[in-house]
Amino acid sequence: MSWNDSMIKQAKKIIKMYPQKRSAIGPLLHLAQSKDGYISDDSTAVISELVGITEVQVKSVSTFYSMYKQEPTGKYLLSVCKSISCEINNSKEIIDVVKDFTGLNNNETDENDLFTFEAVECIGACGGAPAMQINYETVEGLSSENTIKLCEWLKKEQPDVIIAEEMQDNFGGTKSFDWAIKDQSGTTGSVPGFQTFNTTKEKK
Amino acid sequence: MSESIKINVNGNQIESAPNKLLIEACEDSGIHIPRFCWHKRLDPVGMCRMCLVEIETPRGKMLVPSCTTEVTDEMVVDTESEVVKKAQEGVLEFLLINHPLDCPICDKAGECPLQDQTMAYGPGESRFVEEKRHFEKPISISEIILLDRERCILCARCTRFSDEISGDPLIEFIQRGNKTEVNTFPNEPFKSYFSGNTVQICPVGALTSTSYRFKARPWDLKSVRSTCNGCPVGCSTELNSSQNKMLRILGIDNDSVNQGWLCDKGRYNFEYLNSEFRLKTPLKKLDNEFMETSIKEIYTELSDLISDSNTNINFLIGTNSTNEDYVAFNEFAKNFPSTNQTFYLNDDYLYAGFFEKGINRATIDDLNNSEAIVIWSEDLKENLPVLYLRVRQAVKNGAKLIVFGHSNSTLKDIADFYYSDDIVSENFEIIKDISKLKGIKEHVKDKNVTAIIGKSTPYQLDENLDKLVSYLVENSNSKIMNAFSSGNTFGAINNLDNVKNLRDFTKNVSAENTDLLFVVGSDPIGRSVFSNEIHRIIQDIDNVVCLDLFLHETSELGNYIIPTSSTLGEKEGTFTNIEFRTSRIDKLVPSPGQSLSDWEFISGLSNFCNFNNNIDSLDGLNELAYQDFDDQDSPSFKNLDKPSNFDGIINDYQPNISTELNENLTSKYFVGKKLYGDNITIRYSDSISLLGAKQFIEASESTIEKLNLSSGECTLKQNGHNVSANYVVNNKLADGVIFIPQNRRNFNRFDFSETIEISPNQSKEALNVN
Amino acid sequence: MKETLLLTKHMRENPEDSHLIDSYEKNGGYETARKTLINGSPENVLEEIKVSNIRGRGGAGFPTGVKWGFLAENEDRYLVINADESEPGTFKDRILLERDPHQLIEGIIITCFAANIENAFIYIRGEYAKPARRVQDAVDQAYQKGYLGKNIFNSEMNLDLVVHLGAGAYICGEETALLNSLEGRRGEPRLKPPYFPAVKGLYMKPTLVNNVETISSVPWIMENTGKEYNKLGVEGSTGTRIFSLSGHVNNPGNYEIEMGSSFGEFVESLGNGIRNNKKVKAYIPGGASAPWFRGDQLDIKMTIDDVANNNSMLGSGAVVMMDEDTNLVNAAKSIVSFFAHESCGQCTPCREGTTWLEMILDRVASGRGRASDIDLLLDVCDNISPGLSWPPKMTTICPLGPSAVSPITSLMNDFREEVESLIPTKVLL
Ligand SMILES: Cc1cc2nc3c(=O)[nH]c(=O)nc-3n(C[C@H](O)[C@H](O)[C@H](O)COP(=O)(O)O)c2cc1C
Ligand code: SF4
Ligand code: FES
Repeated sequence: MSWNDSMIKQAKKIIKMYPQKRSAIGPLLHLAQSKDGYISDDSTAVISELVGITEVQVKSVSTFYSMYKQEPTGKYLLSVCKSISCEINNSKEIIDVVKDFTGLNNNETDENDLFTFEAVECIGACGGAPAMQINYETVEGLSSENTIKLCEWLKKEQPDVIIAEEMQDNFGGTKSFDWAIKDQSGTTGSVPGFQTFNTTKEKK
Repeated sequence: MSESIKINVNGNQIESAPNKLLIEACEDSGIHIPRFCWHKRLDPVGMCRMCLVEIETPRGKMLVPSCTTEVTDEMVVDTESEVVKKAQEGVLEFLLINHPLDCPICDKAGECPLQDQTMAYGPGESRFVEEKRHFEKPISISEIILLDRERCILCARCTRFSDEISGDPLIEFIQRGNKTEVNTFPNEPFKSYFSGNTVQICPVGALTSTSYRFKARPWDLKSVRSTCNGCPVGCSTELNSSQNKMLRILGIDNDSVNQGWLCDKGRYNFEYLNSEFRLKTPLKKLDNEFMETSIKEIYTELSDLISDSNTNINFLIGTNSTNEDYVAFNEFAKNFPSTNQTFYLNDDYLYAGFFEKGINRATIDDLNNSEAIVIWSEDLKENLPVLYLRVRQAVKNGAKLIVFGHSNSTLKDIADFYYSDDIVSENFEIIKDISKLKGIKEHVKDKNVTAIIGKSTPYQLDENLDKLVSYLVENSNSKIMNAFSSGNTFGAINNLDNVKNLRDFTKNVSAENTDLLFVVGSDPIGRSVFSNEIHRIIQDIDNVVCLDLFLHETSELGNYIIPTSSTLGEKEGTFTNIEFRTSRIDKLVPSPGQSLSDWEFISGLSNFCNFNNNIDSLDGLNELAYQDFDDQDSPSFKNLDKPSNFDGIINDYQPNISTELNENLTSKYFVGKKLYGDNITIRYSDSISLLGAKQFIEASESTIEKLNLSSGECTLKQNGHNVSANYVVNNKLADGVIFIPQNRRNFNRFDFSETIEISPNQSKEALNVN
Repeated sequence: MKETLLLTKHMRENPEDSHLIDSYEKNGGYETARKTLINGSPENVLEEIKVSNIRGRGGAGFPTGVKWGFLAENEDRYLVINADESEPGTFKDRILLERDPHQLIEGIIITCFAANIENAFIYIRGEYAKPARRVQDAVDQAYQKGYLGKNIFNSEMNLDLVVHLGAGAYICGEETALLNSLEGRRGEPRLKPPYFPAVKGLYMKPTLVNNVETISSVPWIMENTGKEYNKLGVEGSTGTRIFSLSGHVNNPGNYEIEMGSSFGEFVESLGNGIRNNKKVKAYIPGGASAPWFRGDQLDIKMTIDDVANNNSMLGSGAVVMMDEDTNLVNAAKSIVSFFAHESCGQCTPCREGTTWLEMILDRVASGRGRASDIDLLLDVCDNISPGLSWPPKMTTICPLGPSAVSPITSLMNDFREEVESLIPTKVLL
C-alpha cells in the first residue's frame, strides 16, 4: 500500500465516523485526490482494501461523480459555470477567455500542471452570474477583463491557499448574496477545502 | 400454494400468488411482457424500462415497470394500451440509437432478445442521425470472456449476477449517464468461477466467450438436455452442437438444483471432446510400445485370461461413468466371487460415517428452509461450485452460516461463525467442546439445520467428523449432505455393491493378488495423493486394461487400452447427484473412431466369456439399476423422460461403503483441490487449459513472510522431487496454514505427511547456468 | 413589498459573525432546543410542525409533519439533511449553511428529538467547500458545548452529526440517490416502491430526508408555535420562503418572503426590475426542472398551488428571469445539457433520450436543424414523459429525465416561431 501511515490513520478515523465502512468511500476518495490530484489506480486499491470491496466497485463509485478526477489535475482547477443563469449572463465569454488564457479545452491540464480547465454545471452562484470556482472557491460577478486578471494573478503569484473572499474582492463583482464575513481560510490543492481532508488552510 | 389473488390483465381475470411481481404473474398466465433487465433469478432493478405497463390507480392510469411492481388484489392492468406500446417502441428506439447493429458478425444474432424484440415491438427505422457512441471493439476481460461495450444495453444483469449471486463483483458500471459502460478494473480481470453465466444471461452480444466466438449460428445448432457430470451437484445443462461438434453448454433453470447457473469448468470443459489426442482405436502394448489392435483381439486375449472364476480381478473405477456403466461392471464382477465385488473408487477418501443410521439426508433445497447451515467439507467453491452459490443464496435469505475448518475461506466473508485457528487445529482436529461454541449454542442447538459434511483432505481423522455429526444428530433437527467432490460418485456408490477408496487400494491391491486390473476412466497417478504407491502397484501388475479418453500417466501403464465415449455428450444414461437425485445424461455428438461406452465394452467382453449376464442393452441396464425401486419413484428412463421429472428424481437408497479408517494419516499442510486442475480433460480444452496449469501455493501474508518468500516465486522440494510454483497471498487463511492444491501437475507426488521444503526461487540467471 | 425575516433574521442583524456559536447564542440560539429537550415531548414537536403546515423546501413541497409521521418504528433511524442544492438557479441553502449553520443544527437537534433519532448526517454538495467548512466548524463548536454528542443539554438524548461531502452529482439531491451516495455507492435513485426512505432508507433503516431550509425553519416554529407560522403566507403555502432570484434582474439575490405575492411584484420591488428596463420574455418559476412562464404571466402568485395550477412548479424556489433579448433555444439547450450531464444513466429513456435531445437542440441552435426536428424533439420528449402533461407522467424511475422535457415543451408551446426561425429549410411539415 502506498498511502503513508498518516494518511492511513486519517482514513481509519474517517471510516469510524460512519455506521458502515462503505459510507466512507466518498470522503476517502476526496482524501486520495488531495494526495495526487486525481484518483490513481493505486489509491483505488488502497480504498478497496480499507473498506473491503473490490477495486472495480470503488472505481464504479469514483467515476460516477464528476469531482473525482480520473486524470491528474493542475494546481488550480478552474471551473467555469455554464448553467442557465450563467448561460444567459454570458458565461460563454468567460469560458472563452479562460480557454484562451490557458490554451486548454474542456477537462485538459496544461504542461506545467498549473491549470486544469472545465466548464461545469451550476455551482450555486446564480445570483452572481457569471461565476466560476478556483479549487471550489467561488468568485462571482465576473467580467472578461477581471477573469483574465484573475488568471494572470494565479499564474504569477501561485498562491498556495485559495481564498474566495480574496478573489472576490480583487476580481469579482455582483454577489449572490452578501457574504458579510471576511474569511481568511481557503483551499489547498484542487479539491474541496475541508478539515477532514486536511485541505483547508488559514492564510498566514 | 396457500392463497391466491385475482388481477385483471387486458380485460381477463388471472390468478396469482400474492407478492409476485406483475411481470412474473403475467408470464405464468401466458402473457408475455417484453423485458431486458429483469431476470427471474436476480433482484429487480427496473432500469431498462421495457416492461412498462399501465395500471389503474385512484389518480388515473399510471405507467409502471411490471418487473418491480407487486401484484395486489383486484389490480387492473393493461399491457397493450397505446401508451404502453408507444413507451415500448420508445425504449427500443433509445436502446438502438447507440447500438452498433452489427448482427451479421454477432454471436448472439438469432437468439438475441434485442433483435427479437425489435422485430416485435420496435420502430421501423431509426431517426437518429448523429454519431453513435464508440468503444474499442471486444476487449478481453479474462482468459475466457470478451466484452463489446458498444453492444451493451446496460441492463445490469452481469453486474448483478456477480454481486448478488456469485459474490465476486469484478464487473461493474463505470462512469454515469450516457457515458456509462460496463467494465472491469485494469489490474483485476473478471476472474470468476462463474463468469460464463454472465455470457448466458447477457441479452445482447456484449459478453461472449472465447470458446464459442464465431463458431456457429443458433439456427444451425442441435441441442439436447443433459446433466453435467463435472461434480456431484449435477447441474441441468443444454448441450449445443453444430456439424457433430460440441460447441457450447448452457445452464438450464432446474429450480431444485442449479437454477440456471453453471460453473465455468462445467460450461467450458468440453473442448477436449474434439481434441486430436483422443484415443480412437484399441491399443495393445508389445515390448513397451502401443500397437493398434482390434477390439475383438483384446476380447479374445482377455477371455483367455479370465479362464475360470478364480482369476483375481480388481477394479479401479472412475467417477465419470454413467449409472448404467456401473451396473454393467457390477454385474460383470459377480462372476468373480473371489474379488468380493470390491470396487476401488478413484477418490482419495470417502466418508463412510455419513451412511450410518440416524442421519437424515439433505437436499439442496433444504438449505433454503433451514435456520442454520453448518459446513465442514472441502472448499465448496472449488469443488461443488453451484452448491456454493446455493449456500450464498440461503444465507442471503436469512440462514446463519457456521463454517468449520481451514477450507471454505471464500465463505468467510458471509459466515456468521468461522471456526478455524483455535477451534480446529492445523490437523483438522476439533480442539474445543462443540456444544460450548457460541454459534452452535445460539443457532444450531434445537434448530433446523442443514449440514454439509465431508473431508477436506484424506489426512483428517473420521472421528472429528463423527463428533460433529453425532452432535448434530443428537442436538438439532438436522439434515446432512455428504460433500464428496467428484463426478458421479453417488451413482457409483449407488450401483456398485461394495465401494472402497484409493487408500484402501494401496493397502489391499498388489501384483500378488491381482491377475487382471481394470482401470476405468481414472488417472489416480495424475491426481491422487497416493500417486507414488499406486504407480508402484499398477506397474507390477501383469495385465492392466484401461478404458479411457486419453493416454495419461495412468493409462500409459495399461497393457490394453480401450477408447471410450465421453459421458459428456457422447452417450446416454443416468447420473446421480449429491442429494441422490438421478437425472438424464444424453447424447448429442458421435464419439471418435472405435470408442465404446464402458458398458458396451464390458458387455462385449462378458459375451466373449460366455457369462450369463443380462447387460447387453442400455435399457436393460437401466431397468437393472432401478429394479429395487417402486415403479413410481424409480428414476428409470421411462420415468425420467416425463417432462415433470426432467429435473430428476431423488431416491433413498442406502449404499455400502466400507473404507478403512485412515488411522494416523496426518498432514503438515492444508491439501485440497482447486476448481481448475491439471486433469486430462482440462489439459485438452484449450480455452481453459492454462487456468489449470498454473502451479501455486497459498498462505497468509505473515506466513509468507515467515517463509522468507518475496519474489512471487518459490520452489517446493522433497526427496529429490522439485516443483517450482508461485505463491498467492490469501489472508483468509489462518496464520501458519499453507494451502497446497493437490490437483496441479506433480503436486500430488509430495508426501504431505512429511515436511516439504519451501524456499525462495533461485534467480533466473542462476537457473540458466545449470 | 417587504421581506419577512424568520430564517435570515439573525444573519441580517449580525453580518459579522452570524455563523459563530457565540453570536447565535447571544441572540437566543439553542434556547428553543434546550427547552424542547428538557420540557417538551416528541409528540408536541410533531404537533407543532403539523399545525405550522410547513411544506418541504427541497422541491417536492410535501407536508413536513405528514412525512415525519410516516417514519417507521425501528431501533435505528436516521435523519439526513439534503444540502445537495444543485438545481440550476438555486442558491438559498448556500446562504443558510454559510451564514447561519447553528440554526440548522438546532433544527436538527429538535427534529431528532421529535423522531427519536441518534444519528444524523448533513449531505452537502462537494462544490460547496466553504459552506461545508462553516457547517463543520459549527458542528465542532456544538460538540464542544455539549449540544451534540452524549446527553445533550444534560438531557437523556444522544445525537451524532456527521458532515458528509458529495462529489459533483446533481442526482444526489434526489433523496434515494442521496442515500445510496451516503452509503458509498453510485448516486442512483432507488425504486419507490419498495425503497421509501421512511421505511427502507439509509442502510435500509427508516430515514427522514429533509431540506436545509425545511429543518432551519424548525427552531422558529418551536419558538413561536406552529400556529404563528401558519398565519404567515397563504393557505397551502404557509410561512416564509427564501427565493433565489437570478437572471436579467437588477438586484439578484436571496429574498425571504411570505408566499402569496405575484412574481411581477417580487421582481419589480425586491429584484428592482429587469436590467436596462427590458421586458421579460420568459421566466423559470422554480428551478431548471420547472416549465417556464411567459413574460405576460408575471401576475401568477408565488404559491405552491398557484404555480401548479398554471402547469409548472414552485420547486426549489429559484426564479430565473430571461429578458426579451434572450436566445431561448440556447437557454433550453443549456438546461437540457444539464440534465443529460446529470442523468445517472439507469433508465434507458433518460440516459439515451436526454443526450439525444441535447444533440438535436445543438443542431437546431447552430442552424443545422431539419424541418422534422421539431416533431422529433417533441416525440423524443413524449417517450420520456408520455403525453407531455403536467405534472409529468414518466417512463423513468425518477423525475430527472422528465425534467429535461420541461424547457422543450415550454419552448414549443410558447416560442415555437423562435425555434422555427432557426431551421434553414422553410418548408415546414
Ligand atoms: C432530480 C432531483 C433533484 C433534487 N435535488 C434536491 C436538492 O438539491 N435539494 C433538496 O433539498 N431536495 C432535492 N430534491 C428533492 C428531494 O428528493 C426530497 O424531496 C427533499 O430533499 C425532501 O426534503 P423536504 O421535504 O424538506 O423538501 C430533488 C429531487 C429530484 C427528483
Ligand atoms: S430518470 Fe434519469 S436520473 Fe432518474 S433514475 Fe432514471 S436515469 Fe437516473
Ligand atoms: S425488465 Fe422491467 S425495467 Fe427492465
